[in-house]
Amino acid sequence: MDLLGGIALVLGSIFILLAGVGAVRFPDVYSRLHTAAKAPTLGVLLVGVGAVASIRTFQATVAVALVVALQFIAGPVGSHMLGRSVYRSLAPPLDGPDQLAERDDRHDVDRHDDDTDGR
Amino acid sequence: MTAVAYAVLSVAAMLFLIRLVLGPSVPDRVIALDGLLVTVMCGVLVLAADQRSPIGIDTVLVVALLGFIATGVLARYVERRGG
Repeated sequence: MDLLGGIALVLGSIFILLAGVGAVRFPDVYSRLHTAAKAPTLGVLLVGVGAVASIRTFQATVAVALVVALQFIAGPVGSHMLGRSVYRSLAPPLDGPDQLAERDDRHDVDRHDDDTDGR
Repeated sequence: MTAVAYAVLSVAAMLFLIRLVLGPSVPDRVIALDGLLVTVMCGVLVLAADQRSPIGIDTVLVVALLGFIATGVLARYVERRGG
């Protein structure tokens, strides 16, 4: 049980490390947001499982379950909000056709003048 | 095992700090701050697993909520003001 908990702790930490590597290495905001949204979710899940396997009390299990559930709900929602704000205000050009531009009426079209690929 | 987890989390925190200092735009810094908060959450969880007691678990819950609220507020700020 302790061994399994330790392995889960180290694996989860490695996922957080992967998010950090992605945040440093990736070229633009959208891809950084991509790693920052996905990897820490699994990392927090694994670290929580490891902590529960080491502590083994009911109180800690409930609290860690709450934390993991909150991360699973709030992580994607927060990243989505941030990505939408980046798209609407800064609008760095996308790789490929931008199908959202004609549907999102709060999108700042003026800054997309140099974006002529695909359409 | 917990020592390895501490070391890996420290390296991750350093990488997020690099992005926080370099980050050309505000959203990059928001991403780095969010990652730092997640790193702190995992660090407190590893501490609790190390001590084998539920100390700090409530702190993790508070930090998780705070991180979500901070990301939402900063996203609004980015949208209103721009980069």
